[in-house]
Amino acid sequence: MHFFRTLFERIPPGLAVILFLAIFSGSVLSFKKMTELEDLEMWTFSRNHLPAYKPFIKKWNKEHPDQQFSLSLLNGRALERRLLSGFFSGTPVADAVETVMRTAHHSFAGPIDAIGFRDLTDRLKEEGLMDEINGPSFGPWTNRGRIFGIPHDVHPVLLAYRSDIVEDAGIDVSQIETWDDYFRIMKPLMKDNDGDGRPDRYLINVWDTIGGYLLLLMEQADGQLFDEEGNATIDSPINIKTMATMITWIAGPNRVGLEMKSNYASDYQLMLDGTIVGFFMPDWLIGKLRQNVPGLAGKLKVMPLPAWTPGGRRTAVTGGSVLGFPKASPNFEIAWKLGKQLYLSEELAVNLFETASIITPVKRFWDNPIFDQPEPFLSGQAVGRMLIEQAPDVPTRTSSPYLDLATKHLVNAAGNIKQYAIRNNKFTVEELLPETKRQMQIAQKHVETQMYRNVFLNKPQ
Amino acid sequence: MSQRPSARIWLTLIYIFLIIFSVITLIPFFWMFSASLKENTDFFSSLFLPTGDGFLGIAWDRLTLKHFYNLFTEIGIGQAVLNSIFLASSTSVLATICSAMGGYALSKYQFGARTFITTMVLSALIIPGPLLLAPGYQLLYNLGLLNSYAGLILPHLAPAFGVFLFRQAMLNAVPGELLESARIDGAGEIRIFFTMVIPIVRPMIGAYLIITFLASWNNFITPQIVLQSPEKLPLAVAINNLKGVYAEDYGMLMAGTVISVAPMLILFLLMQKEFISGLTSGAVKG
Repeated sequence: MHFFRTLFERIPPGLAVILFLAIFSGSVLSFKKMTELEDLEMWTFSRNHLPAYKPFIKKWNKEHPDQQFSLSLLNGRALERRLLSGFFSGTPVADAVETVMRTAHHSFAGPIDAIGFRDLTDRLKEEGLMDEINGPSFGPWTNRGRIFGIPHDVHPVLLAYRSDIVEDAGIDVSQIETWDDYFRIMKPLMKDNDGDGRPDRYLINVWDTIGGYLLLLMEQADGQLFDEEGNATIDSPINIKTMATMITWIAGPNRVGLEMKSNYASDYQLMLDGTIVGFFMPDWLIGKLRQNVPGLAGKLKVMPLPAWTPGGRRTAVTGGSVLGFPKASPNFEIAWKLGKQLYLSEELAVNLFETASIITPVKRFWDNPIFDQPEPFLSGQAVGRMLIEQAPDVPTRTSSPYLDLATKHLVNAAGNIKQYAIRNNKFTVEELLPETKRQMQIAQKHVETQMYRNVFLNKPQ
Repeated sequence: MSQRPSARIWLTLIYIFLIIFSVITLIPFFWMFSASLKENTDFFSSLFLPTGDGFLGIAWDRLTLKHFYNLFTEIGIGQAVLNSIFLASSTSVLATICSAMGGYALSKYQFGARTFITTMVLSALIIPGPLLLAPGYQLLYNLGLLNSYAGLILPHLAPAFGVFLFRQAMLNAVPGELLESARIDGAGEIRIFFTMVIPIVRPMIGAYLIITFLASWNNFITPQIVLQSPEKLPLAVAINNLKGVYAEDYGMLMAGTVISVAPMLILFLLMQKEFISGLTSGAVKG
């Protein structure tokens, strides 16, 4: 008692509380039995994948008592840091790693034989996986002709539209084939009924600040920021023309675009109140909206993206994840077996579609009737089938470690061209082409300068 | 003694301003708390509590505690709370003691390398934390401390900021004559430190304790890099893991945030006197 009295007299009550907490929590934790990590590890960045993966790993561990796996969920940035640290300094990494494009691309910055992921090209060919998996989905994981992962998804993009508003206005979307058709047919919706001098509705969520969507549209038009050898192609003629066209959508009297991503409450509000009539809808966004904005149920429909030219591509692609196998792992064969079983499991493919609306890249599962089921959130459309019809046609993307940088410069260029258009009152594609070319060349030069500093990708001059 | 009317008006105005700013400060907390009680269907359709026919125009029947329930039953957030409490409390207590000891040594002991060590401590202050993540990770790996609580506590035991803070506080506040008298009276160094030095810098102890507790409680990136077992993760990381890639359960995220804010609020209420006096000590000379 004397001890405690002295303690409380001498130390502040806050410190006493913290001391008590330290002793109490330390005691509880020291008696608590912690699960030991298994010898074999798999990391994933996605909490959404866990419910499907956990039973699978549990089943695997039951069937393979001497090849036990633990599955860890890591925040994307932490996973990237840990993975790249492991690649560069030999600290421990998992035997199988599920990660996103950004992380994989960052690991591609060095010489091809120093990339931390195992080269799977020959293995994929030998085991017939190249034919089994949707071809374009390998793009982001292919570097200098070699493949470093099994794609998890396809992520085709459709166009979502507020079907209640469009159908009330008597608009028939079946007449739409190209972007020109889309804006012409939907234009009557852009009235200013509230008299504030601005249209009450906008037709598409394209804006100069949203690099991902600028890139998405460029890729739809067969443009790329890098070629297959990794050279920057930002100022290619097709990119210049696409960029100039997009600027006419967001500036001037014919503006149809609105700044809206699909992540924030404000974005959902724009969807709910109909300020945005049409927006890009990758497969994963369907599940996200279904959960986060149930008020949109029955008010949305999807259609293939309008093409840039008649007969052109009716889809695009955004996002993606991969399963890679670090070279440092001594257990590649076991990890490969697990990864193959996991990613080529029909049960998992069905689960992924049911929970997140994501379609599998494994083509033989595309006949599964689950993909023909009507989706109540999208007014009963068989959205799975619509996505699968577009899946083989998604643009093949490249995997430059400089993609993030190039996208940032693309955004700078778009902002500058938009300002130029407003300052000079030039709002047609032809009027904007010279300035667009100049800005895209500037962006190209900036990226090239950065790339030339990488002695692994370029011989020093 | 009654106040003059002008003083009363002035005081009233001050209170009105304070109330307005308090309300502005509290709005995000109220939003967070009301969001943690809402169903997902109401999340984006009402700013605060869902509107309806109930008392004050609120749909009380649509409020739910299921997010809190799910957090503890499905996600097991209780373990994360315990981890956070352990990491934050042990780190803050140990860091405060070690920093105070370091600061005391640098301010009151005469030894050969004192200037050199003080310069090193000062130099360490200018190194940005993120720069130390990669070498720190490798060091912990070599020491075999990855995936352990010690891997998170040990690197934060004597931060340069704390050592320098206590050195400055003790330089003027602790008179050398007092220490000499204690030594003459036969007190040992440990006794002098705990019974004479610490009570003198008590406000600084309180302030530093709460600063380190808060820093450790909110530490986000280091635990993710050092720890691997999900059951060892602290609250900040566990809540971040609630964020999905394809979908977010905002109600659960907000409930988790409420849980993570509550202990800090309680602690601050307990220690606000020490914290404020610690921050203001030395602010006025005289």
